[in-house]
Amino acid sequence: MIIHDVICPFCGCLCDDLELETEGGKIIKVQNGCALAESTFMTDTRLPAPIRRTETGWEEISYNEAIKETAEILQGADRPLLYGWSSTHGEAQSVGVHIAELIGAVIDNTSTVCHGPSILAIQEVGHPGCTLGQVKNRADVIIYWGCNPIEAHPRHMSRYTTYATGFFVPDAQRERTVIVVDTRRTDTAGIADEFVQIEHGGDYAVLSALRAIVRGKASVIPAKVAGVSKEQLIRIAEICKRAKFGAIFFGLGLTMSRGKYKNIRNAIELTDELNRHTKFVISPLRGHGNVYGSNEVFTWMTGYPFAVDFARGIAFYNPGETTAVDILRRGECDAALIVASDPGANFPRAAAAHLAKIPTVVIDPHMNATTALARIHIPCTAAGIDAAGTAYRMDGVPIRLKKVIDRGYPDDAEILKKIYDRLNGGKGP
Amino acid sequence: MKCILNTGRTVPQGASVEHKGADVYRTIASSCFLNPVDMMILGIEDGDRVRVTTSAGQIVLTARPAEGVARAEIFVAIGPYANHIISSETHGTGMPDFKSQRVDVEPTEELLKSVGELMEDIGGLRYDHT
Repeated sequence: MIIHDVICPFCGCLCDDLELETEGGKIIKVQNGCALAESTFMTDTRLPAPIRRTETGWEEISYNEAIKETAEILQGADRPLLYGWSSTHGEAQSVGVHIAELIGAVIDNTSTVCHGPSILAIQEVGHPGCTLGQVKNRADVIIYWGCNPIEAHPRHMSRYTTYATGFFVPDAQRERTVIVVDTRRTDTAGIADEFVQIEHGGDYAVLSALRAIVRGKASVIPAKVAGVSKEQLIRIAEICKRAKFGAIFFGLGLTMSRGKYKNIRNAIELTDELNRHTKFVISPLRGHGNVYGSNEVFTWMTGYPFAVDFARGIAFYNPGETTAVDILRRGECDAALIVASDPGANFPRAAAAHLAKIPTVVIDPHMNATTALARIHIPCTAAGIDAAGTAYRMDGVPIRLKKVIDRGYPDDAEILKKIYDRLNGGKGP
Repeated sequence: MKCILNTGRTVPQGASVEHKGADVYRTIASSCFLNPVDMMILGIEDGDRVRVTTSAGQIVLTARPAEGVARAEIFVAIGPYANHIISSETHGTGMPDFKSQRVDVEPTEELLKSVGELMEDIGGLRYDHT
């Protein structure tokens, strides 16, 4: 059977034009997808059943037993941490927030180690953004700053920018100017019209220099800024000012390097400056398929996009204090529920190590590095493969993920609802 | 050799990310990309192993040449190998220095560890399933 218009749940592009061929309950062919999509749909290996760590090894247990023990662990904890949420649908995320509120937990999502700093900057100075459809149809200047879409979002350039035919940009390859700013000469840099190679940690200075030039203060700029020549900076500023519609996309090269959220603030303020000359927008390239959705769901339910602490009975938000890495580094939480993510692989060692010291439960379709640190791992459906649900694309557009096959696993939202029911004496959220 | 550790996503890392117990994931996540000139100075060839040390710990990785990596920088795909040596300090932002960890790189004959071994080093117990 051929299934049309399938959404790939892997990265924040949520490409919605895939064609899948299924046979006998298995996906046998993926068309239109990138290498990441193909691996997501074709090489899906799940844990066969929930597992529990014993003194001598691992044992398989029933779903009922796993759910009961998870509820007991969370009920008995003074400061539980509920972390992850970005690779599942909004339906599961919302039950997670209900559990956090009920038991006074800290709930955080993977943007804490991704675009959390971008959110902090947006909270300071706002977000002049737009949907990817606007970029595709209008943008004639594209800037990729501190990101490498060829590797991390392989179809971003063909669907929305460099190679995408737009309504007002019919000959994309000739009419769009692509500028790449990075410390590394990446594959994306290789296809740029202008590659700006900056010294490590120099983003803030280069952004400030561009702001000054756009303001007409080029005379104050030295001959080189963080390894970039003044001539190139002036050339870039002129390209941007001459644009009919410019779009800046940025990645973790800005959020994770020195300056963190101040880099993003400076990039947004450069966008503001450019809007005195022409139309310019800026947006983060979001990583996980539904990480934007976790920010949306958390925000509409608690008022805050990540790192929400319910210990006081009300929602409290203080990144640096209530963020998952900090709570684990301080050895503060005494139980953890990890859903649809892998902090064992993606957190610094000292933070991940605390997960092995406390009762940790993982709810995830696949075995991952955190499995080894957990007491219980409960396998579930994978959103967009064998579960339907809502996810948000990187530009904030909600898209309904399809269920394309049935593999007989319970939905993580259902597992979480059962945990909630047990914690709440049988009453649902 | 003093360097800065930069981490990031790659297509092979993303394609194998749900198979962390597999050999292919180990090969990808434990590859350390260096500028070829830095490799010459260190006296190492493609495929040789390096020990990368930080204030947070040390890890053995496989050296790979990459013209695009700047001198005195190394690039490792995001994952348990890079994170083994990244400090958990977030400077009050929630975000560790995933792209600006200072490291010391030296040749070594020591063997690579598997993801399971890295997790067992911090108190975990691997579950074999690929």
